[in-house]
Amino acid sequence: MKLPPFEYLEPSTVPEALSMLDAYRDTVQIIAGGTEVVNRLKLRLISPDYVMNIKKLRDLEGIVDHEQSIIIGANVSVNEIRDSSLLQHKYKAVAEAAFQVAAPPLANMGTIGGNILQNTRCQFYNQSEIVLKGLEVCHKRGGAICLAVKGGKRCFSVYLGDMATALIAFDAQCVLEKSGARRTIPIIDLFTGQGTQPLSIESNELLTGIIIPKQNGAYGSAYRKLRVRGSMDYPLASAAAFLALSADGKIAASRLVIGASGPAPRIVAGAPAALSGKLPEDADFAAAAEMAYELSEGVDNLALPGDYRKKMVRVFAQRALQGARTDMKRGM
Amino acid sequence: MEKFTLIGKNMKRIDTAAKATGEAIFSADLTLPRMLIGKALRSPYPHARIVAIDTSKAERLPGVKAVITAKDMCGDKWGVFRYTQDQQFLPTEKVRYVGEEVAAVAAIDEDTALQALTLIDVQYEALPSVFTIDDAIAAGAPQLHDAYPNNINVHVKIDVGDIEKGFNESYLVREDTFSAPEDAYFQGEPYAVVAQFDQAGNLEIWMPNAGPHMKAKPLSNVLKIPLNKVRVRKITIGGAFGGRSEISPADVICAFLARKALRPVKIVYTREENTVATRQAHALVTKIKTGVDREGKVLARDITCHMDGGAYSSTGPIATSVPFLCMEQAYRMDNVRYNGYRILTNKPIRGMYRVHGRAFACGIDIQLDMIGAALGIDPLTMRLRNARQTGDYTPTKSYVASCGMTESIVKAGEKSGWKEKFGKLPPYHGIGIGCNSVQTGFPMGIRGGSQAFIKLNEDGGITVITGIVDNGQGNDNMVVQIAAEELGLTPDDVQLISADTEVTPSDPGSYAMCETFIGGNAVRLAAQDVKKKLFRIVAGEFGIGVDNLTARDRKIFVTENPEKSMSIAKAVRIALSRNESISGEGSYWPNVDPKREWVKNPYGQLSETFSFGTVIAEVKVDPETGQVEVLEVTAAQDVGFALNPQVIEGQFEGGVAMGGQGGMLSEFLQWHEGRVLNPTQFGYLVPLAIDMPKINNIIVETIDPNGPYGAKEAGMSVAMSAAQAYCGAISNAVGVYFHDYPITPDKIVKAIEEKRN
Amino acid sequence: MKEMKRYSLTLTVNNETHAVVTPPNRTLLEVLRDDLQLTGTKEGCGEGACGSCTVLVDGQPVRSCLTLAVAMEGRKITTIEGLAQGGKLHPIQAAFVENHAIQCGFCGPGMILTSQALLNDNPTPAEGEIRRAISGNVCRCTGYAKIVKAVQSLAGEER
Ligand SMILES: Cc1cc2nc3c(=O)[nH]c(=O)nc-3n(C[C@H](O)[C@H](O)[C@H](O)COP(=O)(O)OP(=O)(O)OC[C@H]3O[C@@H](n4cnc5c(N)ncnc54)[C@H](O)[C@@H]3O)c2cc1C
Ligand code: SF4
Ligand code: FES
Ligand code: FES
Repeated sequence: MKLPPFEYLEPSTVPEALSMLDAYRDTVQIIAGGTEVVNRLKLRLISPDYVMNIKKLRDLEGIVDHEQSIIIGANVSVNEIRDSSLLQHKYKAVAEAAFQVAAPPLANMGTIGGNILQNTRCQFYNQSEIVLKGLEVCHKRGGAICLAVKGGKRCFSVYLGDMATALIAFDAQCVLEKSGARRTIPIIDLFTGQGTQPLSIESNELLTGIIIPKQNGAYGSAYRKLRVRGSMDYPLASAAAFLALSADGKIAASRLVIGASGPAPRIVAGAPAALSGKLPEDADFAAAAEMAYELSEGVDNLALPGDYRKKMVRVFAQRALQGARTDMKRGM
Repeated sequence: MEKFTLIGKNMKRIDTAAKATGEAIFSADLTLPRMLIGKALRSPYPHARIVAIDTSKAERLPGVKAVITAKDMCGDKWGVFRYTQDQQFLPTEKVRYVGEEVAAVAAIDEDTALQALTLIDVQYEALPSVFTIDDAIAAGAPQLHDAYPNNINVHVKIDVGDIEKGFNESYLVREDTFSAPEDAYFQGEPYAVVAQFDQAGNLEIWMPNAGPHMKAKPLSNVLKIPLNKVRVRKITIGGAFGGRSEISPADVICAFLARKALRPVKIVYTREENTVATRQAHALVTKIKTGVDREGKVLARDITCHMDGGAYSSTGPIATSVPFLCMEQAYRMDNVRYNGYRILTNKPIRGMYRVHGRAFACGIDIQLDMIGAALGIDPLTMRLRNARQTGDYTPTKSYVASCGMTESIVKAGEKSGWKEKFGKLPPYHGIGIGCNSVQTGFPMGIRGGSQAFIKLNEDGGITVITGIVDNGQGNDNMVVQIAAEELGLTPDDVQLISADTEVTPSDPGSYAMCETFIGGNAVRLAAQDVKKKLFRIVAGEFGIGVDNLTARDRKIFVTENPEKSMSIAKAVRIALSRNESISGEGSYWPNVDPKREWVKNPYGQLSETFSFGTVIAEVKVDPETGQVEVLEVTAAQDVGFALNPQVIEGQFEGGVAMGGQGGMLSEFLQWHEGRVLNPTQFGYLVPLAIDMPKINNIIVETIDPNGPYGAKEAGMSVAMSAAQAYCGAISNAVGVYFHDYPITPDKIVKAIEEKRN
Repeated sequence: MKEMKRYSLTLTVNNETHAVVTPPNRTLLEVLRDDLQLTGTKEGCGEGACGSCTVLVDGQPVRSCLTLAVAMEGRKITTIEGLAQGGKLHPIQAAFVENHAIQCGFCGPGMILTSQALLNDNPTPAEGEIRRAISGNVCRCTGYAKIVKAVQSLAGEER
């Protein structure tokens, strides 16, 4: 399949990149590993005037261990994250998510920045002309109907990134830079929750790094993902869990995040209240998992039926919590 | 001395080194001087009248060299059978599925060709459509073709014995309905065609095919040029699995574009086009009623099967018959009735698929399990009690000359530990068995036989000329192996010219698993013809009888006294100097009943021999997620004789992946109003290396009396029975018999929930 | 159609340098196949989901169908044509041939390069590691058993 025409930009420094983004605002598309955006281009889901390759930006590389946090450059490949012993030991959910992204060769090309900033997906949207031509134009393509949900007033496309869900379990932040400005926001705030425009990053902003705060005390984390095949597939349901224990072995802090269940990864807001002060036991996990189930949207727009995927959010939330309990270790 | 030097040995395939280095050329790899790129414009409607097509803007686009529509063709309708001629390669009157070709362009590059497509203006008048079997046969349903009232394209009716009597005498009778949506071929290589005409009006054309002669004839018809001007060339082919046997609109379109532009044209399909616009496998709904005696022996069966055929006939009459025929070969039964209906819908065209009808095959087998459970007989014993035997006639009157069904069941049972496992596994752990049988060809009119020639060089090397085609299964190697074996040569001494309609003689093609049996026999006979001639010369020189000679190690020697020998090269030179012909010729026509016809007379010898296979699968199910982990698979098949054991194992393993792992766990097409929602690898989930279980291969040999060295076919019985074994194993693990396939995790979770409540 | 700027690139493929002039909207796969006639690299999907277009870039397996050719300046690219040396099959190619790991052969080039990249990184992979490493490459014919066996035959001592 052919790419549409575009002009090519290849900045070699971040300031240069930022000024290009400023100059070509709204008409430029960033490409990092290209494993998501090239398909969107080929399918003509986007047709920017400019494509800007950021892989030459050395400043976006590296996993750095700081006093209070770990900083991951936006261009770090998913495989580097998978293989990082630092992340494997201290941020297990993040390494586990990386281990399950796509397949090894794709995760070698794909970056963490691109992974977080991928668009939502839907069987009625990520298609070539052979499917889309003659099909009614849905919300995500600028129309006023939803093909997946009859009478749907909004878009139910699904965010299928693995990394963001895991990072949010650690309350990770991201650094967004534009000419003359820089903001650091929680990753969860990158997501609008709108299927049509799922990301809140501005068109002249560059994601430069991810900040994962360090944890104290005893804590553990895990990421669990449902897919049909043992590799390659996007998640059909996923969950990340973080648990921290107080000295008496009771849950002091927790975060449960679900993915692949709506246009954004979502924090199960009620989970901490349900778990806090309790021993990490299956029965309470089940109560939190039930909340995850309630929060998830199961729509028939991916490989398996929506109601099944919704149920699986519950199962994988429970399993992520159990995984976090198993991972329990002392802080750093 | 061993009987064979090459046959029965693990011979390195002659074609794979070129494939390993990237040297092997597939159709899309070809580039010819001045070559253009062709693209087809496809219908966005499932059913619509074509009111007008305006191509003028596209024609004016710089770089566009040809635009064609139905007007450029003469409106002929094509069909595999005279009574199924219903498809125009570019339709004149209406389109019948989303993705059907309506026009095509050839331009200097792909960008230009794609842009030209956007400039073609087609006016359609949308018509009501039907997308399901039920809707298509409902009263007042929109009709696809005038020739097929009620959208019933084919009705195959088989009635043998007295089923009413059989049911009356039965101790237990069950009736169940099984269903499955369409599956897709997903060959590694997306379809591609290159065509060019020369000044004399000869067409040269390359495309993946399962029989060059089967492509040449319709091309000759539609282009209105004699067959000797149609040169379907040999090319490396990236898989077929039944889906590349017929002419494809792409072939015809490419040829017309090349003729109009007077330049070579290449069309390369995208993955999406390969899924939508070549062939798909049928969706099926099968109702099976079976009556058995107390011992589980089948006394009567009544089967009604509805197949969703899509918009055109394709190989409809065959496809409607084969699921039944495989079953009647595999299992004994005296009284049986079959009503197979192929129904037309506004969906892409369905053809023959390696795993013929999972809802049929799995239905038959899982119902045997249900009946067995009611009678207290385990599934393996149920199979043994009904297994086909050597010397039997099938219900539709095919003689079974050799049959290793029982042996395959017994051996698979032993290897898999069936006795120790069935009924004794922990919860959500299961084991299942499936048996099936396939043909080695069937009556195919004048193209039913194969011929081969062999030419010798003065140094004793040979060139084999045969119409046999290799889709990836190793047929080229099989030919070389047989010729070298017969003549005592090494594979290096053998050159192969194959699958080229200009030079190679008639052959049925790699169709219905007949190449080894029919084509292999022809090559063997050609080699024996050469050998006979060479022996005559050597016998004359040595002053002994021809019967006392053996050919081996490039020599012909006296069998009793190997010291006394002559090199084959020398024998050839003697022949040349005496002006004695030593070229070889062989032809093989299978012993099938030429009067047998799919619809009008479905009785008589169908195929000269049949393969028989058993697969046993052991699985573990995660009851919370419904995910299936396949622990081990044992595949056993009566292949007649294993010409090249590793090639056969490869066919078994590929068959387990396609039929079992893919066909029962993850593969199915999803639809929205006639549109395929998963035309790519993103949604159509072909198994990966990480998913595949350990596979035990068991080769059963019955030495067929008429197969080359006793060989039949390699692996298709396994592909089919793998689906059945997976189905049985999952049902056994969950404790619920599944009726709808593939058995995806959502269905398993639902079944478990329903069982709990 | 938009007129695009054309780029002059120097690509290092199989240790040879090639001057290529191309608009920026072309993939490495297109340039390899159409401009350099290196047709051993196959297009099975064009969307990153099958692995048949795999080439090695600086030793790592990469989907050439998702890679812009313009971004490849200065990188070391190895295609299937670059493995065999002096008319002799590379050991990984020989292992695929010996072990009947190739049927139709369409997945072969990508599968072979992916396998070789694994062996470069890890000369003694266990069966599970092999299966995982090649699980981004779809093969429709073999069921993978003989492919795994071929890689294992070079995998030295099993861990
Ligand atoms: C077959 C297949 C399977 C896949 N399976 C999975 C899966 O299981 N899980 C999963 O999460 N993903 C999957 N993916 C998607 C993708 O491979 C990964 O998400 C990958 O990590 C994306 O990274 P990239 O660098 O290639 O992104 P790109 O494609 O380069 O970019 C993705 C998006 O992010 C933007 N972007 C990238 N970097 C920046 C930056 N620094 N600042 C601002 N914007 C930026 C781009 O403009 C683009 O919109 C799959 C892809 C394929 C082809
Ligand atoms: S969820 Fe509905 S609106 Fe959104 S992409 Fe899918 S069909 Fe379109
Ligand atoms: S062609 Fe690149 S992954 Fe399929
Ligand atoms: S050998 Fe045919 S796709 Fe792998």
